Amino acid sequence: MSGQGLEQLVKMVNQISANMHGATDQQAADKVATHLQKFWARSMKEQILAYADDGGEDLTPISRQAVERLREVRAAG
Amino acid sequence: MLNYYDPRKDAFSRDLGTPARLSEKQIALTIDGLEITVPEGTSVMRAAALAGITIPKLCATDNLEAFGSCRLCAVEIEGRRGYPASCTTPVAEGMDVTTQNGKLAKLRRNIMELYISDHPLDCLTCPANGDCELQDMAGAVGLREVRYGFEGANHLDAETDDSNPYFSFDPSKCIVCSRCVRACEEVQGTFALTIDGRGFDSKVAAGQDEDFMDSECVSCGACVQACPTSTLMEKSVIDQGVPEHSVVTTCAYCGVGCSFKAEMKGDQLVRMVPYKGGDANHGHSCVKGRFAFGYATHKDRIKTPMIRDSINEPWREVSWEEAIQFSARRLKEIQARHGRESIGGITSSRCTNEETYLVQKLIRAGFGNNNTDTCARVCHSPTGFGLKTTLGESAGTQTFDSVMKADTILVIGANPTDAHPVFGSQIRRRLRQGATLIVADPRRIDLLKTPHGGRGLHLALKPGTNVALINALAHVVVSEGLEDKAFIESRCDTAPYQAWRDFILEERNSPEALEAETGVPAAQVREAARAYATAGNGAIYYGLGVTEHSQGSTMVMGIANLAMATGNIGREGVGVNPLRGQNNVQGSCDMGSFPHELPGYQHVADPAVRERFEAVWKVKIDDEPGLRIPNMFDSAIAGTFKALYVQGEDIAQSDPNTQHVQDALTSLDCLIVQDIFLNETAKYAHVLLPGSTFLEKDGTFTNAERRINRVRKVMPPVAGKEDWEVTQDLANALGYPMNYSHPSEIMDEIALLTPTFTGVSYAKLEELGSIQWPCNEAHPDGTPTMHEADFPIGKGQFAVTEYVATEERTTRRFPLLLTTGRILSQYNVGAQTRRTANSQWHEEDMLEIHPSDAEVRGIQDGDWLGVSSRVGHTVLRCRISDRMLPGVVYTTFHHPGSGANVITTDSSDWATNCPEYKVTAVQVEKVSQPSQWQQNFQDFDRRQKDYLENAGPDATADEPAPMGK
Ligand code: SF4
Ligand code: SF4
Ligand code: SF4
Ligand code: FES
Repeated sequence: MSGQGLEQLVKMVNQISANMHGATDQQAADKVATHLQKFWARSMKEQILAYADDGGEDLTPISRQAVERLREVRAAG
Repeated sequence: MLNYYDPRKDAFSRDLGTPARLSEKQIALTIDGLEITVPEGTSVMRAAALAGITIPKLCATDNLEAFGSCRLCAVEIEGRRGYPASCTTPVAEGMDVTTQNGKLAKLRRNIMELYISDHPLDCLTCPANGDCELQDMAGAVGLREVRYGFEGANHLDAETDDSNPYFSFDPSKCIVCSRCVRACEEVQGTFALTIDGRGFDSKVAAGQDEDFMDSECVSCGACVQACPTSTLMEKSVIDQGVPEHSVVTTCAYCGVGCSFKAEMKGDQLVRMVPYKGGDANHGHSCVKGRFAFGYATHKDRIKTPMIRDSINEPWREVSWEEAIQFSARRLKEIQARHGRESIGGITSSRCTNEETYLVQKLIRAGFGNNNTDTCARVCHSPTGFGLKTTLGESAGTQTFDSVMKADTILVIGANPTDAHPVFGSQIRRRLRQGATLIVADPRRIDLLKTPHGGRGLHLALKPGTNVALINALAHVVVSEGLEDKAFIESRCDTAPYQAWRDFILEERNSPEALEAETGVPAAQVREAARAYATAGNGAIYYGLGVTEHSQGSTMVMGIANLAMATGNIGREGVGVNPLRGQNNVQGSCDMGSFPHELPGYQHVADPAVRERFEAVWKVKIDDEPGLRIPNMFDSAIAGTFKALYVQGEDIAQSDPNTQHVQDALTSLDCLIVQDIFLNETAKYAHVLLPGSTFLEKDGTFTNAERRINRVRKVMPPVAGKEDWEVTQDLANALGYPMNYSHPSEIMDEIALLTPTFTGVSYAKLEELGSIQWPCNEAHPDGTPTMHEADFPIGKGQFAVTEYVATEERTTRRFPLLLTTGRILSQYNVGAQTRRTANSQWHEEDMLEIHPSDAEVRGIQDGDWLGVSSRVGHTVLRCRISDRMLPGVVYTTFHHPGSGANVITTDSSDWATNCPEYKVTAVQVEKVSQPSQWQQNFQDFDRRQKDYLENAGPDATADEPAPMGK
């Protein structure tokens, strides 16, 4: 996906992170990861994972944690 | 003894004279020697009618309270003096009534004689000939002579008022029975009509004795339906004559889902009359459903399938076979080249459940991916998410009738009198009985102007601050000890409740702390919270003003929190009720239109669910969600998404940030549009498949109260196929077999696979009239009120609703907030209503601006205004209005050329990507010419219309078309 599409995905994760709350950051990140796993298309998840691999500099801290968690969830299948 | 117990059979085919009474207490009486038992409070007239005895009447009709003015219904009652009017006399135990004897006959003849002496005797040429109660009554009472001539004073040459496009008012035929006046008050709640003058001079007047069009009349037609003569008469009946047969069907406009009798002459639709047996509307309707059906036979209807290789060339008319083969070939080529996930489809919130089900099935089974979405994405997707998370089911909790038991009605971000008019009338009825009204909306909506028995409060919040307001309301409830502890304890999960309670009690959620953010004075918030929490029954109704925000889903959860905290769930008179925009938004969501959910809100990642579908569909289903509409657009621009099948939706006009949508659509290699008109999206299409209107097909719609209603075919489809047949053909051409011969078979499959629909069938619908899902073993006749004993997820889940301000903020460059809405006479993108006389009420979209904002800009009413946001610029005409707060401007989006969505941005709800239509920062200034976008729009529009007009038979029919745009 081009820059614009990716930018949109980053914006979306960050917005989800801003709206999901948990007692700890890890809890919040877990919720975000579950949300992504449940609602995002396969291609979108793959792109955001790839983006995180490349440094993912525009992800907020919770988003970054969430994407890592998403990676684990997907690896666990 | 006759027992009155089956309202269904009898009550809807005849006029029983006065409304039903619901008392438990039964009264026994004798009428003309027949014994009958009826509920206490029933009139003698109605009791007689139920016993099969017809008493002559003129001023009474069973959807209006009796008035007792014509005296034609006089009867004799044993032991009472004189001849009481049977319509205004309630039954009493042991009463003995005589409805026919010599004296009564003479009395009635005399009354009729007086009426007729002031009535033109042109029955043979009167449009109501054969459908006139005055005529019927003259016959019934045996009127044979009229002793008073026409020489005396009369009203025979009173002038006809033809101003309304749909009905005319010919006062020379008026018998001043005041049914119309009462219909306008009691049924519609508009109070547009009065009886002017007294005695002989009395006459019906609209508004301040104006033309109907100039009065406050909203053209609902209730008065026309109530009128016993041809005084108020549909113009279509004047033109075409009285209809000869009728079919009961469901309105295809809004989420109220009114039932209608489509009254026909052959296959010509003469008029639509709201059906008394309709459980959503009880015989009422609005201007759209009753009158705006002319679009179905409009000359712009697409009548032949068409194809083209690029959007820069004229259309070629082809056979159905050719168009379907062309589409299938393109789709297969694209998938071969760009992968299985490179194509998708969009289901319609206007088509039937069966059609929607079939489109998502085609995508999941035929395309082999989950790239399905629906236009509910842009309106109520947060409702699905928010209600499912908190209450466990993605739907409203009540029937419409439940509002008649509500003590406080809280309306948030909805404008029922315009967007859901029949329900708006019902709310007004309840308000006249004294219920309290709270409106939370940036704009002062008409409901607040209702003649009112109780209190009305307006919380005029700033656009985008909904969550702050709902938190403040909940803070008051908790901090002032207004919670329903027993409900919370027994029905809600403890840990989430505690977390929510701790959060909401924080000082930053108090109305005082949030006053600056929301703009609503803390005292008003406190008053509203108390009124809602302590009313007894508090009911919440909300609309797109809740969902179309960056925190739409959070707000829906906030609403559910508030209802749970106050115990306003699980019985009549309370509840959480989304008011759905289009007719089948509920249905399209139920039918699995969303990329992550199979029909019945069953997640695609659940192996057990997939297994059941796979067994019936005989194909493997992808276990990952597909793309949503905005993601489809982004991927199209990025070049990974190449083809789209769109049934009955106009994404080019209805979706935000039009420029972005246009870029996406022009990036597609194959766009297949199925619609009744060349809509905005179709202008970018390669295949145009003619759609059918609701009059041309069988199926079901599901309204905002989860009510499944039958849609029945009254005329053949103009292009020969119902929409579901086209989808089926496409599936077969793609090599995925579908062989339904009637929509009822599709419903049987839905019932088989959807746990909330297991009891639904066309036979059951025939028997019950309509069904509110869940309808299954536990609820064989459906479920009027949800969550009575427990929630589908067991315990209710409170959710912490942190307020996160939208990024769409006013700045020096864009100092005003634009919010959008709809009006009564137009529907959604307006493709249908703009092609009817409804346009006489709304010729263009206007920009409403507060007088103080107008003044500083030197703007006058009617000026052309340039409206710019960070994504686009358009031009609209100005209307100065103080319905909004200063700093807020407002427009509708019914006309494509006004480009309201050119300025709305792609900001969206965090959970569902429902666009944030309700908040856009803009600047407004006076201009002298249309915007660049509008000029381009006009050019493109003209070119595409030419392509359509010059469409000819396909010259190159057999050559395989090369790929390209
Ligand atoms: S059409 Fe409706 S609003 Fe207009 S006068 Fe008749 S009842 Fe009233
Ligand atoms: S217009 Fe019709 S309904 Fe109204 S008073 Fe006259 S006859 Fe009755
Ligand atoms: S548009 Fe809505 S309120 Fe009006 S008739 Fe149709 S369903 Fe009823
Ligand atoms: S019908 Fe009873 S008084 Fe007119």
